[in-house]
Order: sequence, then C-alpha cells, then structure tokens
Amino acid sequence: MAFVRWLKRHLVVIAGLLTLGYLLLPNVIVTVFSFNKPKGRFNYQWQRFSTDAWKDPCGVADMCGSLSISLQIAVWATIGATVLGTMIAFALVRYRFRARGAVSSLIFLPMAMPEVVMAASLLTLFLNMGAQLGFWTILIAHIMFCLSFVVTAVKARVMSMDPRLEQAAQDLYAGPVQTFLRVTLPIAAPGIAAGALLAFALSFDDFIITNFNAGSTVTFPMFVWGSAQRGTPVQINVIGTAMFALAVLFVLVSMAIGNRRNRQKA
Amino acid sequence: MTTDNSGDVRLSGISKTYGSFTAVHPLDLTVPQGSFFALLGASGCGKTTTLRMIAGLEEPTAGTVHLGDQDVTHLPPYKRPVNTVFQSYALFPHLDIFENVAFGLRRRGVKSVKKQVDEMLDLVQLGEQARKKPHQLSGGQQQRVAVARALINHPKVLLLDEPLGALDLKLRRQMQLELKRIQTEVGITFVHVTHDQEEAMTMADTVAVMNGGRVEQLGSPTDLYENPRTTFVANFLGSSNFIEAEVDSRSGEEIMLKAGGGKLSLPKARCSAPTTAGGKMLVGVRPEKISLTHADDAGEIPEGRNRITGKIANASFIGVSTQYVIDSAVCPEFAVYVQNVERDSRLVPGADVVLHWSPAHTFGLDAAQDIDAGIETVEEEAA
Repeated sequence: MAFVRWLKRHLVVIAGLLTLGYLLLPNVIVTVFSFNKPKGRFNYQWQRFSTDAWKDPCGVADMCGSLSISLQIAVWATIGATVLGTMIAFALVRYRFRARGAVSSLIFLPMAMPEVVMAASLLTLFLNMGAQLGFWTILIAHIMFCLSFVVTAVKARVMSMDPRLEQAAQDLYAGPVQTFLRVTLPIAAPGIAAGALLAFALSFDDFIITNFNAGSTVTFPMFVWGSAQRGTPVQINVIGTAMFALAVLFVLVSMAIGNRRNRQKA
Repeated sequence: MTTDNSGDVRLSGISKTYGSFTAVHPLDLTVPQGSFFALLGASGCGKTTTLRMIAGLEEPTAGTVHLGDQDVTHLPPYKRPVNTVFQSYALFPHLDIFENVAFGLRRRGVKSVKKQVDEMLDLVQLGEQARKKPHQLSGGQQQRVAVARALINHPKVLLLDEPLGALDLKLRRQMQLELKRIQTEVGITFVHVTHDQEEAMTMADTVAVMNGGRVEQLGSPTDLYENPRTTFVANFLGSSNFIEAEVDSRSGEEIMLKAGGGKLSLPKARCSAPTTAGGKMLVGVRPEKISLTHADDAGEIPEGRNRITGKIANASFIGVSTQYVIDSAVCPEFAVYVQNVERDSRLVPGADVVLHWSPAHTFGLDAAQDIDAGIETVEEEAA
C-alpha cells in the first residue's frame, strides 16, 4: 500500500526520468564505446577501457578531412539559410503581397517531402544543368532544405512581436535602419538563433541528400556510413561524443549567461 | 505669457480611408499650445487613427497636419517633435528601464544621458527600478516608464493612446491625477485618446467627442455635459432622459412644448433643433437635475418648473443617492437620481410622484436622431 502511494506521488517524475533516459541512452552508449579497445575492426562489443582513440582522434585515414568538409558546409549552410530565411520570414509576416498565402505554404513543402525524393530530384536537376557535383552542390542543397526550418522558427517569433514596438522606436527618433538594428533584430534574435542552430544540426548530419549530390566529396556522415561497411573505428565515437559535449556545453553556457543577466537585473 | 504657439496642433481637412472604409471623415481641429485635449469616443470611432496621423504613424488620405507653423504632414514619425505613450505601453522588452527611457536621447545623439534619465525616473518615482526589465514591473510602473520615455525628449506635443486602459480602476484614478499634475508641471500640449468619458472629463480642458469618424461636439467638459447637442453626446457623457415633444409656441427666449398632456418650457439658447411650431423635438434632462415629490404634495412645487407625473417603478439605494426609475406617460423609463439629504419614506415603488426640474436644465435636440445613440457602446466598453 505504502509503495503504491509512493508510486502515485512520484509517477510524473519517474515517467520523466524514464523518457529522459530513453532519449539519452544512445549518447551514453556512444560515449562509453569511445573508450573501448575493440578486437578486430568493429566497435560493437565492449572489450576493455582505453583512451587510445581520444589521444589520436584523427588517426583514421580521411576521417578528419571529411569532418572538416562537413563543418565547413554546415557553417556556410547555416549562414546562408539564416540570412535568407530571416528575410523570407519578415516578408511573410510583415507585408501583404500577391500569392503570399501560396508562398507561405510552399515554404513548408521541403519539410514534408520525403528526403530521398528530394535528393533524387536535386541530382536530376544538377545533372541536367551540367553542374559538377561536390562541395557547392552539397551547399546549395543544404541551404535549400534548411531554409524551411529557419523560416518557421523566425516567423513564429516575428508574428508574436508587437508592431507597436517598432512604431515606438520610430516615434523616439530612430530611423528605419536604427529601428531594425536596435529593436527589431534584438527582439527577433532568439527565433533567429533557434533557426540557425536547427540549420547547423540538420546540415551537419544530413546523409541522404548529401550522398546523392556529393560526387566524389565525402562528408562526415558519409564517412561513417562508408566505414560501417568495413569496420567502425573508435574515433567515430570520439567525434560523436565531442559534438554532443560541445552542444551540451553551449546550452549550459547560454543558460548561465541568461541566468546571470536576470539576476543582475533583479 | 509669451505668444509661443509651437505646440499648437492644427489639423485641416484631415481624413483617412482604408479602401472603401472611411476611418476619419475630413476633420478640422486646433489644439492650442499647452492644453490638455481629449479625443473621446467608443472603439472604432476614428480617435486613435486621428492620433496616429498626428504622430506620423498613419499617412492621412487628405488634409494637412501642422505643429505650430510647421507643416509635418509628410514627415516620418522619427522627424516629428512629438512623442507617444502607446496603448499597452510598447516598452522595449530587451532593454532595461534606464535604456528604455534613454532611447530617444541616444537616437538624437545626446552624449551624456545619465543625469537626465535619472532625473526623469525620479520624477515618475522609479529611480530604484532603473536596471529592471519592463516585464518585472507592475502595470502602473510600466505606464510611468512609458510616460517618462516620451517626456524626456521634451516633445512639443505628447500623444497618449488609451494610456490607462490596462490599469485597474483605483490605479487609473491615481494615474489620472498624476498625468494631470505632470501636464500642469511641464506645460506640454497633451492629446489624449480615451473611451472613458469620466477620464476625459476629469483630465482634459477640452474634449472632442468622436463618433463614426466625425467630431460630434467639441468643448469643455462642463459645456459638453450641460449642453449636449446630439443624443450621442448626451448619452455617452453621463446619461440623459429624453421626452418626445412637439413645439407649441415661442415667446422671446422661451420655447413652449407639448408632451403627453403637459407642457414643458425650454430656454431657446439651449435648443439645437429647428423650432417650427408643430415640429417634433427631443427634450432632454439629466437624472440628477430632477426633483421628486410625492403626488400628495404636488401643490407645494413652485410655479414655473417643468413637471411630469408618473409612478415609481424601481428604487435602488446606492449610498450618496437613490436612483429611481419612474414609469411615466411621456417616457417609460425615466431615471432620477436623488441625493440622500431628506428621505421621504413615501417614495417607494408603486407611489405616484411628480417629477419637476428647472427649465434652465432642459435641453432640446433634433428629433431626427436615434434616442439611444451612444448607450450600447458605453456598456460594451465597460464590460
């Protein structure tokens, strides 16, 4: 009876913890196996603890090269998609123009379309145009599919923005440029940042579209896929763990800054 | 007194249409320097659009806006020497109180803003809150920040768009006095938009009552209340009783009217309707101007007063006064407010009474208008 009562009282917490565990378990496995010293070429069975892979993360041929390409593409795709997506979002929320509704729905199409279909049709397009597959075709493709996500994130923020704030800025002697820089942009910033993070994450780990349109270029996800056929080096887990740790660190730091700012104001 | 008129606001033939909808019909309005001017009306009457045209946030379809001698019709808002206190304040959420107030100074390139901002925050009693964000303040405090943020720029004209709408009743009364004090202190022209007739009357020197994109009547609060020229004004500011009457005769400064079986007298000066003999007219009287006498004492009522007989339908005691609803032949629901000075215990529902009032408190309006104009909207806004 006492146990049932205890369970009743803590059910929400237990359910929450279980869900969290479910979400994080893959990351834990990746991290644990980055300290493995496998026998043979596959890192699927725990043998014994070792930090060999961490000491030599680029020890596998071509892996760090592919990582560098992936990071470059992700950075440029993020910049491109964020700038374009922010402008589209503002246009869609602020201005009334012909076919605005149509554009608004069409923006969502790339998100709804099966990735493999988009990948194949992009390849067809590039081949017909005679474009050389590689870094640039990947970048163009990534900007394209990240765009919808950025637009969605920024649009939500801009829509919830009180237009009177900008009118107030103008009323207080800020011209159009000043109004945009001092009021519009800072208020829209969280939405833009969310869109940019999303774009970076999507671009960095995209496999399907990239694989179709990469030509002879190899990105990190493609490298992982390729090596999985022949044997998985522990370094893949090292990179995975490092990316996860960086993301967590990023979130923690931004939260700490936010908290400190709030405490200062209070 | 200098003859500085740089704070005059002059609207000439100004109008605003959105497609086929006319928000503001061509309007001429002059707000003299240093006055507290209220634009009063129900929502959708065009008062906010008028204000926004002065601010430059709305381009007029026709007409001109002058500030003093300067034509500002086509100047963008950031080049006009006016500032606005917005409805729900529009404080910048990402800036603290200090930076909100300093915003206008910084945009105009003022280098050392600290002293001015601190003084301004002290004026509105928010010196302690300078480093807080707007969402950390109460509604009343946010309202004061909005006023400080506008006033620090020493505008020629301060525009207030329903500035007290989001506050509760008690705080609103307090802020009304506060704003009035600030206005008297700084001597800047205030143009205040509100739907609250009490707010307009307590604060403003001059009130323009707007309805359907037009100014119905313009004048001092007392003038509007005592001499309404339309049923809308009569009902929107306070409440009024109306009797449908027929013009009987005119003698000098007096008009005699027939209503039901009785006769009513009306000073000619207080009549804004045509007075051809036999013509219809609406005779109005405010509920608090009427005295109530029990029918048994009818003989004691002095001569020369307008009188109507009726039966008390309802009486509600509300402390300072008792509000009666009288059922009479000329008007089914006659409202009478009687001060609780000497209470007559016979005045209970069902009693026969005589209503009487001085002809000087009677006003005559054109019968060709809706008796209930302005009533519905007031209740809607109050809800």
